Amino acid sequence: MKTALVLAVTIGLGLAVMPLLAHHSFAAEFDGAKAVDLMGTVTKVDWVNPHSWIYIDVKSDDGTVANWGLETGPPNVLYRGGWRRDTVKPGDAIAVHGFVAKDGSHTLAARQITTPDGRKLFAGSPDNGPKQ
Amino acid sequence: MIRFSLIAVFLLAPAMYAQDSWDTIPKPGDADPFRPGEKAGPMPRSRDGKPDLSGIWQERTLAAWNIVKHRGDYGFPGGPGIVEGDKIPYQDAALKKRDGLAKSLYNDPQSHCQLPGVPRITYSPYAFEIVQTPGKIHAIYEYAHAWRIFHLDRTAHLTGTDTFDGDSIAHWEGDTLVVDVKDLNDKTWLDMAGDFHSDQLHVTERYTPIDANTIWYEATLEDPKVYTKPWKMRFPLHRQAKNFELMEYECDASSASGNLSSGAQ
Repeated sequence: MKTALVLAVTIGLGLAVMPLLAHHSFAAEFDGAKAVDLMGTVTKVDWVNPHSWIYIDVKSDDGTVANWGLETGPPNVLYRGGWRRDTVKPGDAIAVHGFVAKDGSHTLAARQITTPDGRKLFAGSPDNGPKQ
Repeated sequence: MIRFSLIAVFLLAPAMYAQDSWDTIPKPGDADPFRPGEKAGPMPRSRDGKPDLSGIWQERTLAAWNIVKHRGDYGFPGGPGIVEGDKIPYQDAALKKRDGLAKSLYNDPQSHCQLPGVPRITYSPYAFEIVQTPGKIHAIYEYAHAWRIFHLDRTAHLTGTDTFDGDSIAHWEGDTLVVDVKDLNDKTWLDMAGDFHSDQLHVTERYTPIDANTIWYEATLEDPKVYTKPWKMRFPLHRQAKNFELMEYECDASSASGNLSSGAQ
C-alpha cells in the first residue's frame, strides 16, 4: 500500500464555520487556511473527551515515517454520527482531511476520514444538537 | 472526491446550525427541530396535576461559546445571543476583568474539565434529562456526569457551603417550575468568552412549558459583586428526538485544551 503525503491548501473553504467542541480553541491551535490530506496506517485509537484521537504512521516521499495525532470529535458525537469502536483500528490504512497545527507538531484537526472500506466519515463535531 | 464530500458538508452547515435566540419565542405546536412533522400537544401532567417535564431536553443556541451575539471563527461558531438587550450589566472593574479573562480560552475553568456551573450547564451544549418525582426533580446532564436535584420539598437553602452547581430549591408558580439557586462558588464561567460571576451569584431559573416538546427557559442572574443590576437570559429547550439516549461523557483534562503538544505520541 502506497502511502503519500499531499499538501492541499484550500483557502476557499475557510469561510465555513465548523465547530469542534465546547472548551476548545481551534483558532489558537490549528491553521484553518492549511488543509491537508494524509494517508497512513493507524497505530492507536483513543476514544476520550473532549476530543478523541486517532494516531497514524505517515510515510513521506523520502521514506521517513512520522506518527501523526488526528484530533476528532468527542466519542458521543462520533457514535451518533455512525462511528463504532472498530470503525478504524490499529493496522488499518486510512485517509484523512483536516487542518494542521500551528505549532508545527504532527497534529491534525481531522474533518473527514476515509475508512479502509471506502466510507467517508465526518470526524469533527457536527453541531450542538446531535440527532439520532 | 474528498473535496466534493467536504463541500457537501459545508453546504449543509447552515441548516445544521439553525439557532434559537433571545427573540425566538416559540408558540405551542411550532415545528420542532428534533421532531420534524410531529404535532405537539400540551405538556403531559403528573399525578399531582403539575406539568410533567420528564424527558430529554436540548438547547440549540450556540451560547456555550458566547452568551451575547458574536461572530464566528474556526471552531467557534457565531451565535445570536441569549441575553436580554444583548448586554451584561457589568460593573466597571468587572468588565475590565472579563476582557482580561477573554484573552485566552485556556483561562476557562471548563477547558480544564471542571463543572460548568449554573446556568451554563443548561447550554453546555449537550442534552440533559429531567426525571420528575413528587418531592424532587432530578436533572441529569450528559456533560461530564453533572447532575442537579431541584428540591421541591425544601424551602431554605443550605448554609455555609458553596459548590459548582449550587443548591437548588424549587416551587411551582402555576405551570412554571421556578428553581432558586444559591451557594454557588466563583470557579465557573458563563461561556467561553470570559463572562463570569462571583460566589454571590443568585440564579432564578424558570422552566415554562410551551407544548409537549418545548420548555421556555429563563434565568435571572443577580450578583452584587459583579453586575450593576439583575439581568436575564432565555431560550427554548427542545425535546430530543425519539430514542435519543444520554451517553457517558467523561472529560479527560489530559486531552483537553492547552495540551496539544502532547497530542502526537
